[in-house]
Amino acid sequence: MSQRRGPLEATLAFLDFFAAVLRCLVTGPHFWLETLRTMDILMRRCLIPVGLAVAPVGAVIALQGVGVFRMFGVEGLLSSMLATAIFRQYSPALASVMVAAQAGSSIAARIGTMKVRGQIDALAVMSVDPLRYVVVPGFIACLIIAPLLNVLTTALGLVSGWFFAVVLARVDHGAFVDNLYSQVTVTDLWIGLAKCTLFGGAIGLIAGFAGLRTVGGAAGVGRAANSTVVTTIIMILVIDYFISLLLLWLGV
Amino acid sequence: MSFVWFVRHALVAQFSRLPPAEQFLRHAVDAGVGSVALLTLLIFFAGMSLAVQGYGAFVRMGGQEFLGLFCGIGGVRELFPVMAAIVCGARIGANLAASLANMQISEQIEALSVMGIDPMRYLVAPRLWAVVFTMPLLCAYADVVGLSASYFAAVVQLGVDQGTFSAQLREIIRWQDLAVGVGKGVAFGWLVAIIACYHGYRAAKQEGAAGVGVATNRAIVHSTVVCIVLNMILSAILYA
Repeated sequence: MSQRRGPLEATLAFLDFFAAVLRCLVTGPHFWLETLRTMDILMRRCLIPVGLAVAPVGAVIALQGVGVFRMFGVEGLLSSMLATAIFRQYSPALASVMVAAQAGSSIAARIGTMKVRGQIDALAVMSVDPLRYVVVPGFIACLIIAPLLNVLTTALGLVSGWFFAVVLARVDHGAFVDNLYSQVTVTDLWIGLAKCTLFGGAIGLIAGFAGLRTVGGAAGVGRAANSTVVTTIIMILVIDYFISLLLLWLGV
Repeated sequence: MSFVWFVRHALVAQFSRLPPAEQFLRHAVDAGVGSVALLTLLIFFAGMSLAVQGYGAFVRMGGQEFLGLFCGIGGVRELFPVMAAIVCGARIGANLAASLANMQISEQIEALSVMGIDPMRYLVAPRLWAVVFTMPLLCAYADVVGLSASYFAAVVQLGVDQGTFSAQLREIIRWQDLAVGVGKGVAFGWLVAIIACYHGYRAAKQEGAAGVGVATNRAIVHSTVVCIVLNMILSAILYA
């Protein structure tokens, strides 16, 4: 498998890969212990970067919003905008981007290293399917940790927004809390979680694909990690746009 | 080798003498021109999403005529510079880290020192200058593309009144805002480059190919987190 054969070949190979992963998911054997181990490692690695990246966003929204809402004398509505933006939009998108940066690149680098060292071939020789043992656990792990992290980052974003608005900018605490849930519904939380699950699964797939296609030694490992992150960020933004257009059109 | 030690030596190497023009140009073209296509694609979708989501949020409160205000403040002041920094970290930073780590594990950096060439001056300084020079340009470009995309989504797709939208943009966006965005670009560029060079430079030789992967991963994650946190601090100082 060479890396440079044009986008059409890559797309076809990716679809092929996707079908193979789906087949592995449906049929046994499953390596559940390996899946749990991967989830444990990725969760530990992602927790701090994802939290640190998403928490400032709540503060920035509050900080820029407070001036504008004051201009129109509707400070109280600040929290409804903050909650809508965080629940629906910024928490899922940014959490997924950070999961791509941390978990995606580390999965791609790990699989790429195994490929370059011939360990993938060694697994196949021992009649352990590398797809089942290496790729599928990463895929399942990303699928599960992305929405879990989204719950955390949603809470963090709201807290940091509250801190900035109420503690630093002196918006009334009662008005902030009263309006917080006036615009968001449980549907918004589900939409955020569904988006994160979709993006997380795609991150795991793309990382596994890029890792298995690594060629060219140590430099190739860096390229695999890099291309995973770039591809997934593009995918997240593009899909996110179409989802929000669809939701607007459906009136959800 | 600590980060402080690395920054001190990199600063000395960066400012003691300007890098050779040819090296600087090569890295600047690689970082700048190489990122334009990716940045255009991402910022275009980010700008359109901003307008669509803002519209969705404002429709609930019945204030869709304030979309121009929202896109101006949210986009030019915050979203476009940060997105440019994330793209820069993911592409330029990861490339720098991977190439330096590759040189480190194949002992090319040691070979340079043996030949009496300071790797800081020969490898790190031109890269730092190149990224610091290209990032503000990319940020300015991101503002243009992002605003056009927001305008397109708001006026063409969502049917917001064109006059209101552009009047609000003109009212809320001042030259200072654009200058702040470009200034943020300088800071983001330097930070991304120094973090990427640091992780590439200290890649562990005995780990081989795995070391390159670790360096790339850390460069992407650390530079993204640092840029987002720095953006919050800068915004809090400038706008609060």
